[in-house]
Amino acid sequence: MKISLNWLKDYVALDASNDEICRAITFLGFEVEHVIATGAPKLENVVVGEVLTRNKHPNADKLSVCTVDIGPAGGVKTIVCGAQNYKVGDHVPVALPGAVLPGNFVIKQSKIRGESSDGMMCSAKELGVAEDAAGLLILEDRPAIGTPINAVLPPGDTVFDIEITPNRPDCLSHFGVARELAAWFKKDLVYPQTEFQGCLDEAAGAPRSDLLSAVRVDAPEDCPLYTAHIIAGVKVGPSPAWLQERLRAVGLRPINNIVDIGNYVMLETGQPMHAFDARRLGGSQIIVRRAADGEKITTLDGKERVLNSRMLVIADATRPVVIAGIMGGENSGVTAETTDLVLEVAYFKRLSVRWTSKRLALSSDSSYRYERGVDVHAAVESAHRAIDLILKTAGGRVVGPIYTVGGDVPWQREIVVTPAYIRERLGFSIPDADMKASLEALELNLTREEDVPGQGLTWTVSVPSWRDDLDRPIDLVEEVLRLYGTEKIPAAVVSAPGLVGEDDPTVRFNRRAMGYLVGQNFHECVNYTLRPAKELATWVSQTAAAELALANPFVEDQSHLRPTLTMGLLETLKLNQSRGVVVSQLCETGRIFIECNGQNFECTAVAFIVAEPVGARTWLRREAGDFSMVKHHAEALAQAAGVDLARQPLVPIVGTYYGWQEGHSVSGGELQHGWIARFGLLNLAMIKALGIEGKVYGGILAILPEKLAAVSSRRRYADFSLFPAALRDLALVVDLATPSAEVRKALAGLARAAVGNAFVVESVDVFDVYQGKGLPEGKKSFAFSLVFRANDRTLTDEEVNKVFTQIQDEVGKTTPYQIRK
Amino acid sequence: MQSTLNALVAKASTELPALKTRPEFEAAKARFVGPNGELTALMKQMGAVPKEERPAMGKLINETKAQIQVLLDAALRTLETAEIAAQLGPAVDPTLPSPDAGPGTYHPLTLVREEMCRILHKVGFSVADGPEVETEFYCFDALNTPADHPARDAQDTFYFPESARFGNVSKKNPEEKYLLRTHTSSVQIRTMLKGSPPLRIVSPGRVYRRDTSDASHSANFHQLECLYVDKNVTVRDLKALLDYIFESLLGAGTKTRFRPHYFGYTEPSFEVDLSAKHLPKVNKEWIEIGGCGMVDPSVFETVGYDPKVWTGYAFGMGLERLAMILYGIDDIRYFYQNDLRFLKQFA
Repeated sequence: MKISLNWLKDYVALDASNDEICRAITFLGFEVEHVIATGAPKLENVVVGEVLTRNKHPNADKLSVCTVDIGPAGGVKTIVCGAQNYKVGDHVPVALPGAVLPGNFVIKQSKIRGESSDGMMCSAKELGVAEDAAGLLILEDRPAIGTPINAVLPPGDTVFDIEITPNRPDCLSHFGVARELAAWFKKDLVYPQTEFQGCLDEAAGAPRSDLLSAVRVDAPEDCPLYTAHIIAGVKVGPSPAWLQERLRAVGLRPINNIVDIGNYVMLETGQPMHAFDARRLGGSQIIVRRAADGEKITTLDGKERVLNSRMLVIADATRPVVIAGIMGGENSGVTAETTDLVLEVAYFKRLSVRWTSKRLALSSDSSYRYERGVDVHAAVESAHRAIDLILKTAGGRVVGPIYTVGGDVPWQREIVVTPAYIRERLGFSIPDADMKASLEALELNLTREEDVPGQGLTWTVSVPSWRDDLDRPIDLVEEVLRLYGTEKIPAAVVSAPGLVGEDDPTVRFNRRAMGYLVGQNFHECVNYTLRPAKELATWVSQTAAAELALANPFVEDQSHLRPTLTMGLLETLKLNQSRGVVVSQLCETGRIFIECNGQNFECTAVAFIVAEPVGARTWLRREAGDFSMVKHHAEALAQAAGVDLARQPLVPIVGTYYGWQEGHSVSGGELQHGWIARFGLLNLAMIKALGIEGKVYGGILAILPEKLAAVSSRRRYADFSLFPAALRDLALVVDLATPSAEVRKALAGLARAAVGNAFVVESVDVFDVYQGKGLPEGKKSFAFSLVFRANDRTLTDEEVNKVFTQIQDEVGKTTPYQIRK
Repeated sequence: MQSTLNALVAKASTELPALKTRPEFEAAKARFVGPNGELTALMKQMGAVPKEERPAMGKLINETKAQIQVLLDAALRTLETAEIAAQLGPAVDPTLPSPDAGPGTYHPLTLVREEMCRILHKVGFSVADGPEVETEFYCFDALNTPADHPARDAQDTFYFPESARFGNVSKKNPEEKYLLRTHTSSVQIRTMLKGSPPLRIVSPGRVYRRDTSDASHSANFHQLECLYVDKNVTVRDLKALLDYIFESLLGAGTKTRFRPHYFGYTEPSFEVDLSAKHLPKVNKEWIEIGGCGMVDPSVFETVGYDPKVWTGYAFGMGLERLAMILYGIDDIRYFYQNDLRFLKQFA
């Protein structure tokens, strides 16, 4: 809100500098966004002059040589001037030698193209009173020659553009801000004097009018108070200069005296008001009612608005004339021809105004204030203030009857607080007297002060009606602190009594996962959570695209929750490639959202990609990533989440599920078990379609936070043998499509069966894979290393051979695999 | 005999130093001193030597054996040295750049977050976490932000359709709408409801605002909030924490100041400014760094803590903003572009 310093001075005698006032506003709790200087600065040696003669400059086409009378003290001066918009006889500002114009422009006696000049005739811009100006400032009022220019120009003003927090609607007014500053600077606050007191002296023959025959409020729940005053015989015209100046200073365009006074009083008191042309009210009636569905009104901004039955309107007998608290209609406002007014000062409920304003996408200074809360108890006084000003500036008189509907809820609020409580909450001491002075400066008056046994000194503080935000003792702590000065809160040592909780399991997992990946030379990335619909449909599924949609996206390409981190990493890869930055290993942790059986689940995820380092030139070539490498990373990350991936079944990915490459990628786990892993090669065609060069391997692990939070039991130590192992190798020929895990499982089973309880099979592991020469078409061979060991002795060749022979026999009998000799 | 022995030594001293490989060496060794070697053969002839000559001859043979052993040892040493030299290859050029990518780097937002968490951990705060998809209760109602509050506008908050269901985000009331949290304060509510006072948590995390993206605004960004609940917590304690945090982060002499402000969930509330003289790219004496205040009694009532017994404070700030201030970064979008030239600067 723009606050004029000159205006503030009507209510409080501020003598502080602008900087001090800014500081005061800031530490009272309002942010000063801008400080704007308006009007003329203090100008010495600039006076009113009259142009006596004007002749062309002998040596310059565009210049004139003028004689200018600057009054008895200065006499007649010769001035060279380049402007064109003046004539002989005009009164203009004249800057004489010694004057300093804005921009530190010093005026001197000078010669211009050979002609001497005793000063300068000035434009509005040169005087600092306007942004731009075509030519000299012609003083149309013809002020007396020789008058110092500051006596003629509007006085300078400082406007503070300040942000009022939503809890302080009382400060959406000059008077409200003045009250705060008066309290801060310990100055008296002067209330505006109002002569009209709402009494129509009917006994003395005050006229009654039939201009308004009825005011009815059909929706009192949204309009607890409605007042209407009739003023007859006004003369609509331009506002007086002081009023226009005030409005201009705070960025409002003067319209006419009636509208301007409405705005002025709103900006003074915070109470919005509206004036009707009484003769344009159909049926001489005002009805505050809800609109009919589909009812229309053309508002003052020239737009037609379609209303509905939840919206409150002010209507005459036939049609809505105002959208209550928001904006008037074109059909009933004050015009140049208006002679009789109805002045509406009312209180509308915040929610009602806000709902309508949002729905119509229409807001105004009035709706802004109603939405934040207007002091219903000050409404009538504001009406009187406006009427006073109207009578003074537009003439006319108040004629009966005065309509007041509702609004008879008396205001009374008291807070009981002890100074000891305030000190306890603050943690430092402010003397009682200072606290009391602060509260009273804000008109929070102490109605009772007593010693209550067990509580000590106790204050009963009355809260004025404009401070609806205060209703608990803690609220008064803030008021005391604001006026004491939050800058003065004393320093202290941070209080940290022993209390150490464990960091959240998700946080610990993320740290471990990132620590691993960064240790493996990955670069951690951060990408946006919101992704475009098309991407989900292409890379994941139509279902995901439907389930993960936002109701109200802001931009089209950020409309859905991400179901994977891979897309963001690919985007990062592409950006770096397109900028010619060599990049290979990227990773990210963050939330992803997985649709499962009609429900979405928020998962914590960690993902990585390993891309060919396109564009890298190096004297020693290194192998890029491959499947085994990403499998290794996936296993390490799964371990950080307490999942032993090596022992979990892996399912080959079919199709282009989540953008993986069929035949080169797998998935493991299920959301029902709390985790999902996918890794391998990303779909080559899809990567290419994104504009990414080279192969990209990657992996992702998604875990439900509750899975991480599950308590894992402590591991138990298992004894191990100190005797040597016995090794045997066995190669099996199998179908090309047979996965190694299947063969290993079968072989390990047979080995364990053959060994029985005699000793143990320590491990069965693939150490070689072969296909090609020496093997039939469509076959491959896995070579396994079998390790046998006993806990209590060194195994003999005989016992191991016996078992090994038995295993080979069983392979021949019970499996489709052939032993490779 | 003696001449034969001398000849043997002479032969060994020419052949053994010339050996190039281990098999050659082993063969030569066998030839000279092996069971079927020449020296062994000579020793076997001792029987034919007259008894009185035997001691002298024995001595001579032993000397010869020792001489050959010295030659063998020398040959083995030469061989081993050659082997190690072959294993080593030529000396490296240590000034060549490593062809391996890396080292890996943490994102600057992670670095700043972890630094803040470390600072807070020292004074007893532990890290709490909560869902990014939230409900109206945890994000607004419980934080004293009633239904008619402008912060809840669909204009500023991302909502989900009423049909959306989130299996692992609990609702307080069945008719609540799901939304993307606008602040991490929702974690405070979940933590307070789950635990019991006293408690001290820091909750860093991602938040969402429905806003235009530009150099200083982003569709999602990160916040870090502290919550301290105990008996007799004061405004002065809150100020002490802020001073501690920023002195730890930016060095002794760093100052903070409070300006009164308004937040629905704290009373009194403040904005926090940081003395900025020594920060890069800041031309102001003070810059705003976050908001804080004393936990509003109504918030305690909502989570079932008696506000007559329990008091507390909360502090929150934007992590991107903090990182921008600390590192002198002037565009928030750099955090989300992940240009490697950017990422590599902060490790």
